[in-house]
Amino acid sequence: MKRYLKLVNFEIGRFMKIYLVLIGITILSQLIGVIVMAKNYVANANEVIFVDSLPLEQFIEQYGEMGMMDVVGSIWFIGPIALCAAAFIFYIFFIWYRDWVGKNTFIYRLLMLPTSRLNILLSKATAIFIMVFGLVSVQLILLPIESMLLKWNVPFDFRIDMTVSEIINNNSYLFILIPDSFIQFIINYGIGFMVVFILFTAILFERSFRWKGALLGIIYCAIASIIFLAPLIYEIGFEASFFYTEEIFVIEIILGILVTAMSIWLSKLLLNKKVTV
Amino acid sequence: MNVNLNKREPVYLQVIRHFKEQIATKRLEPGQEIPSRRELANQLKINPNTAQRAYKEMEEQGLIYTEGNSPSKITKDEKVLGAVREELIGQAIDSFIAAIRPIDVPLDEVVGLIQEKYKGDKA
Amino acid sequence: MIEAKELKKRFGRKQILNGVSFTANKGEITCLIGINGVGKTTILKGIMNLTPMDSGQILIDGEKMSKDMYEKITFIPDAITMIPTMTIAEAMQFMQDYYKSWNQARATELLRFFKLKQEEKISSLSKGNTAKVNLLLGLALDVDYLLMDEPFSGIDIFSREQIADVFTSHLVEDRGVVITTHEINDIEHLIDKVVLLDNGVVLKEFRTEEMREDEGKSVVDVMREVYRG
Repeated sequence: MKRYLKLVNFEIGRFMKIYLVLIGITILSQLIGVIVMAKNYVANANEVIFVDSLPLEQFIEQYGEMGMMDVVGSIWFIGPIALCAAAFIFYIFFIWYRDWVGKNTFIYRLLMLPTSRLNILLSKATAIFIMVFGLVSVQLILLPIESMLLKWNVPFDFRIDMTVSEIINNNSYLFILIPDSFIQFIINYGIGFMVVFILFTAILFERSFRWKGALLGIIYCAIASIIFLAPLIYEIGFEASFFYTEEIFVIEIILGILVTAMSIWLSKLLLNKKVTV
Repeated sequence: MNVNLNKREPVYLQVIRHFKEQIATKRLEPGQEIPSRRELANQLKINPNTAQRAYKEMEEQGLIYTEGNSPSKITKDEKVLGAVREELIGQAIDSFIAAIRPIDVPLDEVVGLIQEKYKGDKA
Repeated sequence: MIEAKELKKRFGRKQILNGVSFTANKGEITCLIGINGVGKTTILKGIMNLTPMDSGQILIDGEKMSKDMYEKITFIPDAITMIPTMTIAEAMQFMQDYYKSWNQARATELLRFFKLKQEEKISSLSKGNTAKVNLLLGLALDVDYLLMDEPFSGIDIFSREQIADVFTSHLVEDRGVVITTHEINDIEHLIDKVVLLDNGVVLKEFRTEEMREDEGKSVVDVMREVYRG
């Protein structure tokens, strides 16, 4: 356990620089985005109202009011989130391959540590989870700050004020990242973590059997997906619904746990018996 | 300590010969402490196990002795020391004769030449 | 004692190891010799469970490899097994964090012996010094067995001499050492035992002093006989 925690800390430390840069980009882009968008909106309003002498009501009718939903739909806001998402998808692979590629033989050291090799896998997964949650928390903290910035920059008459939960509920991708119920949260992130473990298993297949392993890895991903989606595939295949929503929910949770456990078990087997440096 | 080691002869024998030469030439005095096997291995760049074997052999031949935990020392036994000297002289003469005999030089001439050279070298 | 029995390993179509058996004793230096690509490194990785063997058995003091064995046997590959952005001090701290067998006093001694500065970054070291740090990280573990892959290749002559000095010092004393090399000349007098490999099999296994004593042959003489004959 102590070594596992040390490994988690170690893995996070190794990614810290990139991680901080990602957080920095997110903060800067979103805050600058709010200001730029607000200024543009106000500038436009001034021009239309004072130069073109359009009444305020008509301006609002024509251009709409400004609110956080405009901000969260913009590239300033989505851009860094997409960047972070891409970085973490890349990191799922990078966290393994950086120890193998080129002259770097750090994987030798990791595999020769006097600790269960499963700890290496779990620590890498944990590092990813912690950092993803970190990013989500940053986003949660940023939302009220951004609302406030908007208030300072756009006069009352031109804006729609929204609470943080209103902002989230009005935006489909934010709602995936930050669901409003605990169960939804478990579902979203449970699926996310399951995918991480499936991909880890695929990577370890590749690292064990190289080209053949890459193929096995892809096949494994397909099998895992089919198992997990089996009830839905079944229903679509028969064009009927056999289960109540609650039943589907329970079955999916069980299948999710099953697929995750299977992935971890296979990864452990590969790490102990088959992995090749 | 600097020794040129030959790669075809057992290293432990070469080490023993080296010690005998040192003893015969008085560079190692009777009763003088000798390096530990580890130090010797390090000085000669040889395997410590080989150094160990050389010391064991020398101990058996009475060339060195060890009292308790103190470092090994060169023997003070006059008989052994004399034998070492004789052995080295014998070996040197043998190899000299082996080299000179094929040239077929009369013994008197050889002895004369030796006397001349030997004295000359010393002076 | 490290026992390798009938090790077989195939990479794709190439049978790298085809029934390799040998033993290496504690307190002795055993040298695996063979041209490059003959599978020497694969054998060491096999012993450490870094590359699985297709068949065969490896025992260390009669036991199979397990995670706890990494406190008893260690492997020093030909490239450094640390993150290049770490300083030497950080690398040593890493080792201390994970290994019970890490001996800090010995590590400090090795730093002095190799004249290394611990605040230096690994990536900024010369080839020779990188090799020394690599060696240090392995040697400072209180393990019974040390496996070293080509410790003398690709470094300058002075570093080579320093590394050779390690073998005759107490830093290696009483441990079982297995080294691989394709260049025996510098270290002929250092090794106890030789295992000659070719085409995936052991061609000859012999003790160097016995070979000199019984047949008057140097290691290179035997190699010439075995590889050319």
